[in-house]
Amino acid sequence: MPWYTSLFQWFSGLFFSKTADISIVGLQASGKTSFVNVIGSGQWSEEVVPTVGFNVRNVRKGNVTLKIWDIAGQPKFRSTWERYCSGVDVIIFIVDSHDKEKFDAAQFELHQLLSHQTLAAVPLLVLGNKNDLEDHASVNELIKALELDKIRNRAVSCYSCSMKSQHNLDIVLQWLTKHSH
Amino acid sequence: MAFASKKDDEGLSAYYNNKTTVIQEARVFNDSPISPRKCRALLTRVVHLLYIGESFSTQEATTLFFGTTKLFQHKDSALRQMVYLAIKELAGTAEDVIMVTSSIMKDMQPNSEVIYRPNSIRALCRIIDPSMAQGVERFFKAAIVDKTPSISSAALVSSYHLFPNAKDVVKRWANEAQEAVNAKSSTSLFGSSTGGGYLSGWGGSAGQQSSGYQAVPSASYITQYHALGLLYLIRQQDRMAVTKMIQQLGGGKTGAGTTLKNPMALCMLIRYAAKVLEEDPNVQKQMLDLLDGWLKHKSDMVNLEAARVICEMKNVPTFQLMRAIGVLQLFLSSPKATLRFAATRTLAALAVTHPSNVASVNVDLENLISDSNRSVATYAITTLLKTGNEASVDRLMKQISGFMNDISDEFKVIVVDAIRSLCLKFPDKHVSMLSFLSGVLRDEGGYDFKRAVVEAIFEMVKYISACREQALSHLCEFIEDCEFTKLSVRILHLLGIEGPKAPQPTKYIRFIYNRVVLENATVRAAAVGSLAKFGLNSNDAGLKKSIDTLLNRCLDDVDDEVRDRAAMYLRLFRESFLADTYVKEESVFSLDALESKLVSYVNDPSASIVPFDASSIPKISRAQAAAEVARPSSLETVGVPAKKEAAATPQLSAVEAQSAYIQQLKEVPELATYGEVLGSSKPAQLTESETEYQVSCVKHTFAEHIVFQFNVSNTIPDTVLEQVAVVMQPLTESNLTEDFIIPLPSLSSTTSPGIVYVSFTRDSPEEYASGSFQCVLKFISKEVDPATGEPEEDGYEDEYQLEEVELGAGDYIIPTYVTFSSEWDRLRGGASATETFSLSAMESLKAACDSIIEILNMQALGGTEDPSSTSVHTLQLAGLVVGAGGAGKALVRCRMTYSKAQGVTLELSVRAEKEEACSLVVSAIGG
Ligand SMILES: Nc1nc2c(ncn2[C@@H]2O[C@H](COP(=O)(O)OP(=O)(O)O)[C@@H](O)[C@H]2O)c(=O)[nH]1
Ligand SMILES: [Mg+2]
Repeated sequence: MPWYTSLFQWFSGLFFSKTADISIVGLQASGKTSFVNVIGSGQWSEEVVPTVGFNVRNVRKGNVTLKIWDIAGQPKFRSTWERYCSGVDVIIFIVDSHDKEKFDAAQFELHQLLSHQTLAAVPLLVLGNKNDLEDHASVNELIKALELDKIRNRAVSCYSCSMKSQHNLDIVLQWLTKHSH
Repeated sequence: MAFASKKDDEGLSAYYNNKTTVIQEARVFNDSPISPRKCRALLTRVVHLLYIGESFSTQEATTLFFGTTKLFQHKDSALRQMVYLAIKELAGTAEDVIMVTSSIMKDMQPNSEVIYRPNSIRALCRIIDPSMAQGVERFFKAAIVDKTPSISSAALVSSYHLFPNAKDVVKRWANEAQEAVNAKSSTSLFGSSTGGGYLSGWGGSAGQQSSGYQAVPSASYITQYHALGLLYLIRQQDRMAVTKMIQQLGGGKTGAGTTLKNPMALCMLIRYAAKVLEEDPNVQKQMLDLLDGWLKHKSDMVNLEAARVICEMKNVPTFQLMRAIGVLQLFLSSPKATLRFAATRTLAALAVTHPSNVASVNVDLENLISDSNRSVATYAITTLLKTGNEASVDRLMKQISGFMNDISDEFKVIVVDAIRSLCLKFPDKHVSMLSFLSGVLRDEGGYDFKRAVVEAIFEMVKYISACREQALSHLCEFIEDCEFTKLSVRILHLLGIEGPKAPQPTKYIRFIYNRVVLENATVRAAAVGSLAKFGLNSNDAGLKKSIDTLLNRCLDDVDDEVRDRAAMYLRLFRESFLADTYVKEESVFSLDALESKLVSYVNDPSASIVPFDASSIPKISRAQAAAEVARPSSLETVGVPAKKEAAATPQLSAVEAQSAYIQQLKEVPELATYGEVLGSSKPAQLTESETEYQVSCVKHTFAEHIVFQFNVSNTIPDTVLEQVAVVMQPLTESNLTEDFIIPLPSLSSTTSPGIVYVSFTRDSPEEYASGSFQCVLKFISKEVDPATGEPEEDGYEDEYQLEEVELGAGDYIIPTYVTFSSEWDRLRGGASATETFSLSAMESLKAACDSIIEILNMQALGGTEDPSSTSVHTLQLAGLVVGAGGAGKALVRCRMTYSKAQGVTLELSVRAEKEEACSLVVSAIGG
């Protein structure tokens, strides 16, 4: 890339830049931290240290700056999700679409979270992750299992994707850019 | 001090720094985009509030805490540091603080910027719980030896805080801490571990500039201080290791070879050396050599510390002491007040024990008596009072009277204590001293100061009869206008004791009766007691009658206690035998024993059906009781800066030890059904003092059992003993049946001493079983792997022969105090026995007394344990014999004669409340 192009991007970044605050929640081991790593620096790894608490990371994609809060999913941390979701522009809820036994728990935690008044109207993006694995649930199956059709008064989208193969991550980014300001 | 500033700020910023406002404004944390300046200002206010002692509720703290965490990873480095400070301060109160763990750990990593690493390390140790220490081990080990001093220090200090809750993990970091202590040069200018980070800083982009941190080379070497603190914490249980550490870091005989460059680290090392010295006299020579070297160190701080330690040492050779005094002498003329203060303070303390040595610097001290720093002047004068002669006393007292009003109460107490000891040293000066004391008694001052003055006057009353009357008058005058109830009560008590003996007792009555009219209930009750003593102890019928009238008036008092006392004393007036018991009786219950028995009586619901039994509580004489509560004689305490804890742990008195045993035995579930322990012996050593395993034995007597408590110490650092037991073999028919042994699962040098119990049932509890036991210590010995600190799999069984344990009459007897002659008469009709023994092996009457007292474990009365004649003597003893049906008194009279040819001939007479007690005593001496 010639130097003037990058300079141009820098300038256009100054004038047309958009930002979004994003919180990522979901049960443990669904792939939240992997998502941040892949989006942020293209790093995919089979071994990820379980998150204790939360991590925050600024990611720049084109002229969008995303501030991403990656919140731990173990039961003892779930009560703090609400604190980190309030005030953000977008909530991303990640499910391991291959681990069907956990769908009930995921459904419960998601609806529990959305019931907070403080989070009214915040757009929600549900990602069925790990679709590189055999036997993963389809988008329709996820909508049913997580009862996404019962959610009212907010924008909801659901995609099937994979951090490992990076499948569909481009449309995820597009969706996020759309919800930036 | 931080707290003091609260007041100063109040007017200026009470609103601005108000808790509620701050919490409301915490909204700025959620602003988007974040304003670093606003957030930083708010966090500063939060931290400020916490520092001045404001407290936040859990909910408030949690809200602030989570708000703060939203600022994480902000690129403004000043804000980020403030975030860490706030997190550290809020972590103690807020909930769910564990949330920030991952984020903090990210900032701790070596690839993070140097400025954040120390902050995050220090914050982490407030956040994580002990179980997570293991998880950060690798990281901490690396950070401790990091070349950047701020990182290394942060890791060391954090390890220090983690230690109490994660001992086993932090212990494994000793090698790293050792490396940090030794670090030759803390850092070179370009030695930062982040490598290129700041070197490429100039000309870089905006992003890089914010990381333009320079690792400032540490000129102070403060990391050594932190590392030494951690090392000591890890090793403090192991005296050998501490000694080795001191030798190694001390840098040889002259101290020149030391790697320690930080003066505070050296001061710590000196304190550790002092501790080792106190515990192990064998290292005195080496330690003194080191201390001597430090006297010549180039840092004042180090010189002072070394001099102070030498001055506080017991049995220090005079030439060494004089060298320390020489160093202090130089500081006396220093322009820095702190140095003069430190030197005079140390000398003031030393003057108590070594006045003549300190006198060598009297000339220099004279120059300080008008020092503009009053604290220095006070110490100089009180030191001179101790070292000077009688002639200088008046002059010094005049000097100090001049500025008594300029100094704080704390220093006034030091002055008063100095005068107090002077009274005893120069009794002839009592006139001027008493007038000084009575003068300051009229000055303004708090309780501690007034108490010091009153106690000083008490002591003059006690020891200097010439000033007694005058002193009592001053006290009378003082209570006319005394705001401290406690002091009034003590003075009234003293007047009750001393007043009736005075030439004109009547002159005190008015002062005392005024209290009944004017004061609060506590003082009135004390005054009633005091008045009554005048009536009871006087032969003057007129006085008796007027006291009677006054006490009758007190029967109308509004307070129960005052009325009850008056009524009781009036009754004593009429029935003189009661007066003998309650007012003139010389023995009192041992308060410690009474307290512990009462506590266990109250705590045991099943005991409440029977009345409290006071018969088994030993009595002590009034003199003994006074000695137990007395503060150390003034001569020892004058002007001594607060003593170190080690010196302050007094020997437990027998009664205190007994109370401790009661508590300890109660916590052993196997012994729960045995009831109250009736008596416990002194510990008897069963091994030589320098052996690898040390064992002592305490015998506990219960109504139906005997429990042997073996205190076992393992002195070998690198071995663990497992399944430690003591096997007891009776050598004769003992009438005891072994119940069980409670072994120790594991015993190392750091967990020593541990306790092994062996319990026996008394076959017939009405008899006093006795006998000798052969004892063998058995255990499995295992080496400890130095790498992991864990014992190795395989060990070998071993045993160790101990000295024999004897059970005898003394184990059933508790010494007690009685008034011998009247008690001996009273028991005339009870059980009695008289026998004559020839103790031909005894070489003196004193030896006979000692061994009889030891065998019977009884209280010798009236000083009869020390024979005044070498040929005839009577020893009088009293004890409580404990048995199944409660305790009973036993009195013993030993008439003895001694001649070279025959040794000691003993006529032993016993009188006791119970028959068995009589035969126990006779058989103990005869058998
Ligand atoms: N096969 C597969 N594994 C994934 C995918 N995303 C994450 N993982 C794995 O799932 C595990 C948990 O991921 P992590 O990001 O720690 O989940 P978090 O607890 O939600 O943060 C890790 O072993 C990841 O390697 C994916 O798309 N496909
Ligand atoms: Mg995670």
